[in-house]
Amino acid sequence: MNESSSPHRPLQADLPLAGEVKPQLELLGVTKRFGGVAAVDGVNLRVGKGEILGIIGPNGAGKTTLLNCISGVFRLDGGDIRWEGASIAGMAPHRVARLGIGRTFQIVRPFGSMTARENAAIGALFGSSDARKGPKEAFEIADQVLELVGLKAKAGRPVAALTIPDRKRLEVARAVATRPHLLLLDEVMAGLNNVEIDEALDMVRTVHATGVTVLLIEHVMRVIVGICDRAIVLESGRVLAEGEPEVVLRDERVIQAYLGERYAKRLRASGDEDGTN
Amino acid sequence: MIATLDSNRRWRRAFLIVGGIIAAYALLAPLTSLDAAVSANVPLLADRLWFRIATYIAMFIVMATGWNIIGGITGYAAFGNVAFFGIGAYTTGMLIAKAKWPFLAALPFAPVVAALFAALVGLPLLRLRGHYFAVASLGVGVAVGELVQNIDYGGQPLFGGASGLFLPIDSIANRGLFFFYLMVAAAAISIAVTWWVLRSRFGYGLIAIRENEEAAAVLGVNTTAYKVAAFALAAALTGLAGGIFSQWNVFINQDNAFPIEYNVQMILMALLGGTGTVFGPAAGAILLQLLIQFLGGTLPISFDLPFVSETARPIVAQIILGLLLVGVVIFVPRGVIDFFGGRSRLSLSYLRRSLRETSL
Repeated sequence: MNESSSPHRPLQADLPLAGEVKPQLELLGVTKRFGGVAAVDGVNLRVGKGEILGIIGPNGAGKTTLLNCISGVFRLDGGDIRWEGASIAGMAPHRVARLGIGRTFQIVRPFGSMTARENAAIGALFGSSDARKGPKEAFEIADQVLELVGLKAKAGRPVAALTIPDRKRLEVARAVATRPHLLLLDEVMAGLNNVEIDEALDMVRTVHATGVTVLLIEHVMRVIVGICDRAIVLESGRVLAEGEPEVVLRDERVIQAYLGERYAKRLRASGDEDGTN
Repeated sequence: MIATLDSNRRWRRAFLIVGGIIAAYALLAPLTSLDAAVSANVPLLADRLWFRIATYIAMFIVMATGWNIIGGITGYAAFGNVAFFGIGAYTTGMLIAKAKWPFLAALPFAPVVAALFAALVGLPLLRLRGHYFAVASLGVGVAVGELVQNIDYGGQPLFGGASGLFLPIDSIANRGLFFFYLMVAAAAISIAVTWWVLRSRFGYGLIAIRENEEAAAVLGVNTTAYKVAAFALAAALTGLAGGIFSQWNVFINQDNAFPIEYNVQMILMALLGGTGTVFGPAAGAILLQLLIQFLGGTLPISFDLPFVSETARPIVAQIILGLLLVGVVIFVPRGVIDFFGGRSRLSLSYLRRSLRETSL
């Protein structure tokens, strides 16, 4: 694929990717087409261990498709995905999960007939390749994870009795219960109010603090700026910009992609007037 | 709330006692047909008809409980499970009739061959979802029956062809008693297997697949392997019932080894009793089979349908059965086990609530 088409910005010295550190996850020219449309078009991306990387972009930019490619839900039409140096392209979702890549779904997909605790236990039962766990140990892990995401008090409730924010927490809890090294979060903050976003941010920080790399898709800019070390912007399946969140969000191409050319021009004009920027 | 729980518990206890008495009667009554009992002037509680009906009920418990593993627990509505019954029957039948094996040596091959076949067709079939899987599995069910009847080898029908397959008549003493207890043992095995599945890692994986297959996969459930294993396990149990049936009935052909109506009946039994539960399909099998026999007029307690001639009776029986099942699906969606088991109580408000849930 066109390896050099999306040049990486020079990395900051204090970022985890600096120096000789090998990336934990590496995407090389990843392409996914639906019919004639390339939803993801030659994306190159490196995620370092312990990083919190945000992916933003307008609707239809290919963010969720990219996540589906990484987690094995979609087969690639081109390029390669490497996990700790080894290719995982074409691997079945359950094998990707057992390697230590957990994910959530944008539209929550709880196991409806189960309680919150049982939902989390599924992740604990199946999510890791280490010694086979029995249901008993899995429930212990489930309890710990539910406490971590703040659902401990509602562990015994059926999913139907959970609020939307709680179901989003459960979605994260289930993924965390697989004990991932990398967690892919697909818009876990969407649809939450400000207080709930703060709680969700705390939750992500808590999970990250246990040593988990986080790659999150988000529309809420506050989240990107608030916790991400780095952000990449996708547009029409390509990487438009990459770098520190504050810098990326001020990038004119990004503003244009989100808000349209006219708005970008006006913003530039007003920026020139008062001499900033 | 507490009062409801108490009354539910009382209801459950009453059901367990009544159910236990009936089960004990059903399991012990056959003993009165033994020579020793007859000579001791114990009244005969189980005649030939009794054995026939009771063995059929046990057979349907096996099939409905087996179907429950793929259809109820895994959520894949298999409509062709009768294929496994027939394959089990023909496997045992061929080994006995052509290879001259003794029955008990031939029987273990019925579940094994049925399970292998299920794994083979399951690999492509279980990629389909919802209606597509249901229709494709129905196709397999029909096709296997046709194949068995029509395959020739060296100019001769390989499996007995249209005239069926006759098994040598066994010399088992107390035949009726023997096959009844054998079928009951198969029923007990199928219920025990379900009980184990629902408590195991395997079972949690199957339920996760039923509730959301993509989510199960990204949490590490090997969905393909699990679905195929569930299908094979269901097939093994159904095949076991078929294997017992072949020697019990001595004669098998396409009509009695691959009856299309069994496909529907085993599903309805599981639905009536409660899918995804341990005892639901068994309860449904007992109730529905008794009802079928009652409407068919084979039970000692018979009845006359007003305005219905004797020839129209089977049709009217079918209509009554159909209406009843529509009612069950709408009003008792979680099956009768829901209130037999004491989780809910059968009341007008229960029926109203169910109607609201199912008419969404």
